[in-house]
Amino acid sequence: MRWGGQIVATLLGAAVLAAAFPSSAAVSDADVKAAFLPRFARYVTWPPLAAPSGSNPFVLCVVGDDPFAGGVDSAARTQSVDGRRIVVRHLDSVAGAGDCHIAYVAGNHGQSVGQMLAALRGKPVLTVTDSRNGGSRGIIHFTVVDGRVRFYIDEAEASLDKIAISSRLLALAIGVKQR
Amino acid sequence: MRQIIRGKWRTAPIAVFGAAILILLAGIAIILEYNVSYGRDRLEQVQGLVDILAASEAAPLDFDDPVAAQESVNAFRVNNQVRMVAVYNRNGRAIAGYDRSGAPVPETIVTLPQPGTNAMRVSAPVEKAGERVGTIYLDVDREAGSRRFTRYSLLFVLAFVAALVVTGLGIAQAQLREANRELTDRADALGQANELLEEQMEERAKAEEQLRQSQKMQALGQLTGGIAHDFNNLLTVIQGSADMLCRPDLPDAKRLRFAKAIVQASNNAASLTSQLLSFARRQPLKPEHVEINTLIRDMEDMIDRTIGERIELVLDLTADGCTVEVDKAQLQSAILNVATNSHHAMPDGGTLTMRTESLSREGPRRMVAVEISDTGRGMDAETLDRAFEPFFTTKGTGKGTGLGLSQVYGFVTQSGGEASIESKPGEGTTIRLMLPCVETDESVVSAAVRAGALPEQESSSILVVEDNAEVGAFAEALLSELGHEVTRASSGEQALELARSQDFDIVFSDVVMPGMGGLKLAEILALEKPQLPVVLATGYSQEIAETGAGGRPVILKPYRLATLSEALSKALRGHAQN
Repeated sequence: MRWGGQIVATLLGAAVLAAAFPSSAAVSDADVKAAFLPRFARYVTWPPLAAPSGSNPFVLCVVGDDPFAGGVDSAARTQSVDGRRIVVRHLDSVAGAGDCHIAYVAGNHGQSVGQMLAALRGKPVLTVTDSRNGGSRGIIHFTVVDGRVRFYIDEAEASLDKIAISSRLLALAIGVKQR
Repeated sequence: MRQIIRGKWRTAPIAVFGAAILILLAGIAIILEYNVSYGRDRLEQVQGLVDILAASEAAPLDFDDPVAAQESVNAFRVNNQVRMVAVYNRNGRAIAGYDRSGAPVPETIVTLPQPGTNAMRVSAPVEKAGERVGTIYLDVDREAGSRRFTRYSLLFVLAFVAALVVTGLGIAQAQLREANRELTDRADALGQANELLEEQMEERAKAEEQLRQSQKMQALGQLTGGIAHDFNNLLTVIQGSADMLCRPDLPDAKRLRFAKAIVQASNNAASLTSQLLSFARRQPLKPEHVEINTLIRDMEDMIDRTIGERIELVLDLTADGCTVEVDKAQLQSAILNVATNSHHAMPDGGTLTMRTESLSREGPRRMVAVEISDTGRGMDAETLDRAFEPFFTTKGTGKGTGLGLSQVYGFVTQSGGEASIESKPGEGTTIRLMLPCVETDESVVSAAVRAGALPEQESSSILVVEDNAEVGAFAEALLSELGHEVTRASSGEQALELARSQDFDIVFSDVVMPGMGGLKLAEILALEKPQLPVVLATGYSQEIAETGAGGRPVILKPYRLATLSEALSKALRGHAQN
C-alpha cells in the first residue's frame, strides 16, 4: 500500500513535469544545426599538422551567409573537446577558411557553395553543407527528415582531406558515401 | 583425577554445540560474503554494460537521434535480466529507453521512479571528449529470487547438515564416554564389593576356624570323658586281676580266670584304640581279599552273642556276593559296631536283618551293599545328621565313646566305599555300607586265626629290635615261650651291627625308634642280607600310614601271641619258598 502510494505520486509528478517543459519539437531546425556544428569536433580526427596544438582552440567557421543568427556562437561557448574551447569565426569568403577545423559552407552572393567547397577541397577542413543551400555537398550534409535534422556523410571526401570520422558518427548518418 | 575427567566429559557437549554453531555461523558468513561479492561482481558487470551503452549513446545524444539511441538500447532486450534502460540527454529528457514490462520509460530524469525490489540500478554519465552529453540508467534483476534462494538454501542445508553431523557425532561420543565412565564406576563398585566380600570371607574363615577349634576342644573333652572312663574300667580289671595273680597261694582255676579277665580287658582296650585310629583314618589298613557273604556267615555266632537272645538275627545274603579288598578286622569291627548300636536301639527285642546286595555297575567298579536294618527306636533328623560325627553319642556319659559309627564311616570311605543311614523315629534304622568289589577269579578267603591254637614250627634264631625295654622283654618272653632263640637289640644301629656279625633266621623290629627306625633298618638289610626276612610291628606309624611298609609284613600293637607266631612263621615260610 505504501509502495503503491509512492508509485502513484511519482507518476503524478512525472505528468506535471512533462506538462511544464515543452518537448524539443519547439526548437527550430537552425538551432539544432547550430548545436550540432561544434559537436562534430568530438567525432572527427584531423591530421596532426592540422589539429590544434598547445592550448589553441578548435576553429569553427561559418563561411558565407550566417543563417543561425548567433546560434552557433552560443552553442560553441557551451561545448568543449577534451577541454579545448571552440571559437567561431564568421567569414564572408572561403579565403582564410583553410585554417578552420570545421567550416559551415553556406555560400553567398559572391560565391556559391560549390565554389567554396572546391576551394577547400584537399584541405583538412570538415566541410558542412545544408540541403537548404542547394545540392552541393560537403563532407557532412544537413537535411531534414520527418521534421528531424539528419545528415549525410561523404567519407570518401573526408579521407581525401586526411580527416577520419568516428564510426559512431557514421552510424548516425542517413547515408554514407564510402571511400 | 576422576573429578577432572568427569568435568572434562561434562563440558564435551558444550564444545560440540559450540563447534556446530561455529559451522552454522561459518555457513551463514559464507552465504553473506557470497552475496556481497556476488552483488559486487554483478555491479561491475552491469557497470560494464552501462559503460558500453554510454559509449555508443554519446553520438546519438549529441546529435539528438532517438532512433540510433533506441537501436543501441534494443541490444539490451535480449538480456532478460534487464528490467529497464533509459537514455537521457543533457537536458534530462529521455531519447530512448526500454522497459521489460512494456511501459514507456519516464520522459525526464526527475520522474524516474526508484528501482523495484530485487532490482539493481546503475547509472552512468554519457561523455564524449570530456563533455557530458547525457545520462543512462540501467535497472537489472539482482538475481532470480528462486535461484538465489535455491543456492543459499543449498549452502545453508550443507552447513546445517555438517552442524548436525558434528552434533550427532559429539553427542554419540559424549554418550560413549558417559557409558565408559559408568562402566568404570561399576567396575570400581564391583571391586569394592569384591574387597568387602573377601573381608567377609576372611572374617568368616576366622570364625569358622574358631568354631572348629572350639569344636575340637569340645570333642577332646568328650573323648577324654568317654575314653578315660572306658580305659579306667578296663585298667581296673587288668590291675585287679594282676594283683590277684601276684598272690602266692592261688588255685590254678582262679589263676586262669584272672588271666582270662586280663586278656579280655586288653582285647577291649585294643579295640578301643583301633577305633580311635580308624576314626582318625590313621589306622594302617591291611587290605586282603574278603568274600563278604562268607565273612558275615562266620560272624553269625559272634553277632548273635552281641545282640542277645531277645533279638532275632536274620541273614539275607544274595547269591552272587562279591569279594572286597578291605582290612578284614576293620570290616568285622564295623559290622559289630552297627550290630551293637542296633542292640541298644532295641532294648525290648526285635529283628536285626543283615542283607548283602550286588549293585548294578554304575561307576567304574561293581559295588556290593551291606545293609544292616533293625526294628528299633530309629533316630530323629537331628541325630541322623550327626550320626557319623565322631564323639557324638546318644548314650549316657561313660556308656559310649561316640566313635562307633564314625569308625564305620572312616573305614568305609578309606576303603573306597560309601556309608549311609536311613532312619525315622519309631521305624527302625538301616545302615548301608557300600564297598567296591574286586574282579578276581581266585577268592582268597582268609581263615580265621584261632587264638591259642599255635601252629607247629621249628626253633629259629630271632633278632628282636625294640627301644622300649618292657615291650622288648615281653616279646622276648613270648618268642622264647614259642621255642625260639632270641637276641635283643635296643636300636636300629645296634641291630644292624648284630645282623652283620651273626646269622639270624628272621628280624622282628619295631617301626618307630629314635635314630634308625624299623623301615630304614629293613631297607638296609634288604640290600645287605636279602635272604633275611623282616617283620615289622607298630602301634601307629605316620610313615607306614603314608607310604606303606614296602610289602613287608606289619603286625599291629598290641599284638597277641597267636598273631605274632603266625606272622613270623609266614615270613619264614615265604622266604624259604623264594
